[in-house]
Amino acid sequence: MKSLNKNKTIFNRIGTFFTKPANCMLVIFAILLTALTLYPLLSMLREMFVVHAGIEKTLTGLKKGNFTLFHWTKLFKGGEWSMTNYWIPFLNSTLLGFGGAVLGIMIGGVIAWLMARTNLKHKKLIGSLFLFPYMMPAWTMALYWLNMFQNSKVGAGIVGVMEGLFGLCMPEWFVYGLFPCIIVTGLHFGPFAYILIGGILQNMDATLEESAVILKAGRLKIVRRITLPIIMPAVLSTFLLIFSSGFASYTVPMFLGGAVRFFTLSSKMKAMFNAGYTGQAYIIGSTVILMGWLILTINQKYTGRKRSFTTVTGKSGQVSFIDLKRFNTPISIALIVIITFFSIIPLIVFAIQTLLRSPGVYEFSNLTLEFWLGRGESSYKNGMVGGILFNKTVWSALGRQFLLSITAALFAGTVGLFIGYAVVRRRGTKLAQYVESMAFFPYLIPAISFSTIYLAISTTKTFSFLYNSFFLIALVSGVKYLPFASRGGINSMLQISTEIEEAGIVVGVPWYKRLFRLLFPIQKTSIMSGYLLPVITCMREVDLYTLLVPNAHFLLTTLLLEFNQTGYDQYANAVTLLIIVIVLILNSVSEKLTGASVAKGVGGGASFGGN
Amino acid sequence: MPRIVLEHVSKRFDKFVAVDDLNIVIEDRDFITLLGPSGCGKTTTLRMIAGLETPTEGRITIGDTVVFDAEKGINLSPAKRDIGFLFQNYALWPHMTVYQNIAFGLENLKWKREDIKSRVYEMLRLLKIEEFVHRYPAELSGGQQQRVAIARTLAPAPKVLFMDEPLSNLDAKLRSEMRTELKRLHSDSDSTFVYVTHDQLEAMTLATKICLMNKGVLQQYDPPLTVYSKPNNIFVADFVGNPTMNFINAKLSEVDGKHVLSLFGLYATFTANMNKPLNRENVIVGVRPEHIAITDSGKINATAYSALPAGMETTVKVKIKDALVSSVVFGAIDYKTDQAIKCDIISDQICIFDANTKELISQGSISINSL
Repeated sequence: MKSLNKNKTIFNRIGTFFTKPANCMLVIFAILLTALTLYPLLSMLREMFVVHAGIEKTLTGLKKGNFTLFHWTKLFKGGEWSMTNYWIPFLNSTLLGFGGAVLGIMIGGVIAWLMARTNLKHKKLIGSLFLFPYMMPAWTMALYWLNMFQNSKVGAGIVGVMEGLFGLCMPEWFVYGLFPCIIVTGLHFGPFAYILIGGILQNMDATLEESAVILKAGRLKIVRRITLPIIMPAVLSTFLLIFSSGFASYTVPMFLGGAVRFFTLSSKMKAMFNAGYTGQAYIIGSTVILMGWLILTINQKYTGRKRSFTTVTGKSGQVSFIDLKRFNTPISIALIVIITFFSIIPLIVFAIQTLLRSPGVYEFSNLTLEFWLGRGESSYKNGMVGGILFNKTVWSALGRQFLLSITAALFAGTVGLFIGYAVVRRRGTKLAQYVESMAFFPYLIPAISFSTIYLAISTTKTFSFLYNSFFLIALVSGVKYLPFASRGGINSMLQISTEIEEAGIVVGVPWYKRLFRLLFPIQKTSIMSGYLLPVITCMREVDLYTLLVPNAHFLLTTLLLEFNQTGYDQYANAVTLLIIVIVLILNSVSEKLTGASVAKGVGGGASFGGN
Repeated sequence: MPRIVLEHVSKRFDKFVAVDDLNIVIEDRDFITLLGPSGCGKTTTLRMIAGLETPTEGRITIGDTVVFDAEKGINLSPAKRDIGFLFQNYALWPHMTVYQNIAFGLENLKWKREDIKSRVYEMLRLLKIEEFVHRYPAELSGGQQQRVAIARTLAPAPKVLFMDEPLSNLDAKLRSEMRTELKRLHSDSDSTFVYVTHDQLEAMTLATKICLMNKGVLQQYDPPLTVYSKPNNIFVADFVGNPTMNFINAKLSEVDGKHVLSLFGLYATFTANMNKPLNRENVIVGVRPEHIAITDSGKINATAYSALPAGMETTVKVKIKDALVSSVVFGAIDYKTDQAIKCDIISDQICIFDANTKELISQGSISINSL
């Protein structure tokens, strides 16, 4: 009898547990997220120890699917193979991450300080121009670099703007390889650093600096002894975030490294895939994942401990600006000129490139609209017929990318919202913690490695239906953007007090009505931005898709890569311009509708690495 | 010696006038409180004197030095004004220990290492926080942080000390403790204190003089008890004192050379103790709650609307005709709801305000005419 009672209590307890909608959601999400994140990771682990079809079979003499340590011994036994395929790319990745982070922080930090603490002129203009390079995908900056500096003496020998107009031939190290990769990464993430550091500076209690002024500390001393130490955790966390992005970056080194065989781990991984060394490619990919995980752990530890620095609140916004005096105009004009060079000029250069009949010849007689509006009279036989505005391949790729963006956004936004609700309602329970960290997990994994993982499952027998499918790509995108979406969902739900829902419970409003009629309408704008931001990010994503698309014509961004690699510069530039324009339009729409922009969204999103 | 003079000081943010043509003189060793509701310009005033905010117009002199003059283009940086500033949120540097926080200002003055050390420990002893010397601010309680902030501000021995609502982040008990300490500190040091608060009790208890502001305009600048007993206008009368002063609409007329007030449907004779003409009809009579006495010999019939005994005193809401007034009675006396009582107005500091301008026109005593 007693045990029967006991059983009954357990059943009752389970029953009660599931009467709460938040609990049901948590259980569902726990299962779903485990399947979507943990399982792929485990299957990737497996791929590192089995033989794949093709060259690996020949080399090992084993059957496909057999256990082997071949990948590990081959990649790490030393000698030139290890050097060129692992250690040099590893070093390159590290240097790229490090250099990009240092440069980005220097650029972003200086501008953030000027904007937040001085009476610099034209702040609004500088602020909005400066965000351009960050709203544009990083690879557009790489393409821009090529457009500007490629010349007849290096690489493929195409004449760039600098040579065409001014006869300036930059040396190879300047045009290809580590140096431009660092510059481009730094320029792209400079605004990111600016957003994070500027945000901290703006929110930093101005009285901390004022009290130092009153105690007679000089300006420089205040920066050195007060401001810098206080924003240091934020700077460090920015450094780590940029470092991990640079370390994992794929597209930038692909554009700028290919010609001189400059590889980072990510581009090496792709090359290994192409060469049929699948197992080793996965090992290289897992290095990137490990590094991402390591960095975020460090970041969380460090910023977690010293977070109290920036949460001091007070009467901010009363800060008195430092008077730049006679340096004000020169500094602001210099900044505007430099920033224009990386925000407006790229657009113009892209546009010009698409108008050149033969690339590199910058003459009026060489201008044509054929690559935009042509209807097949082009002499190119590249499977493209005419200008991109009348080309079916381009339009269907664009259409698919749109569809993909919307699907992914719907998935990420909706799941994120419900996770937000469920986690906030059951905050503090183990299950909620598990779901929260699982939803955050994809953030730790760089895009290219993330697609690797999903590639791994899609090639297994059970999930072969996923291979090369639109569904797979949409799923990957959805899961990849889930960290931002769920974070946003959690934050927006945290702002609503429980009483609002409880008032509904008391009068017997069912749970779905409570959500859709009470809670969601209150956070309308933040929820909308949760849907819009993934759309924008998806539109410009390359890394995530390059391994997963069935063919390069599948998506607009991968089509662009194809054009670039096959040397159809005008098309590549036209598509780039198209993507930039779409992203900028979507971003301004999103900013108008919800106040969220990629810059803010990603900036805010990335900073949660530290929370 | 630091005497602070503000002449025609104004501060505008775009179109919003934060402080409008302010003229005050703060005497040496005064303890001035800038009092007013939030947004009245008191913090802005303080920050302008300290040099953290630049006035739009006017002239500020500290001691013999003109620290700001809009016409002459003088604007001394806060560092050159020889002042101390205690911030509302303490503004302790989170990455420095208590010792480093206090020593920082002395380092900037290029003090010798030994001198710094002895001064820091002197301050620590003064504020009884020696045991926290190597802690970081985050490891201290609110009250301890407050003491560190005071120590840091006092360490360079500033001649003028500015405080911006320094007690508002503390709980009630600590706050009253710190009030006592601040008052001691003021008499022990020979500094001038300027103190911003929105808490009228704090202003009353601490200050030698209250500077009461509203919407950027100075309302009254007097010692606390004067502000309390002789408010310049209804705003001041209403802002100072708890429970607030009772305001009763009345008609004033002259009968047989006597001033007769008609209020609560009764007639009362008003005997002024101020030599000001009383030639208005519509007035507002201001009576402090402690000046409405509930006694059996009272001439006003009333009922007890509610009584709130707090132990030491009891606040009684008294209903006279259709009007509700508050009365404070010493001791705990509980009245039943709607119990019939009698009361009287018993002070010679009854205020008469002009109903239109809301300015004080006279003060004196009221005696209710027997029916």
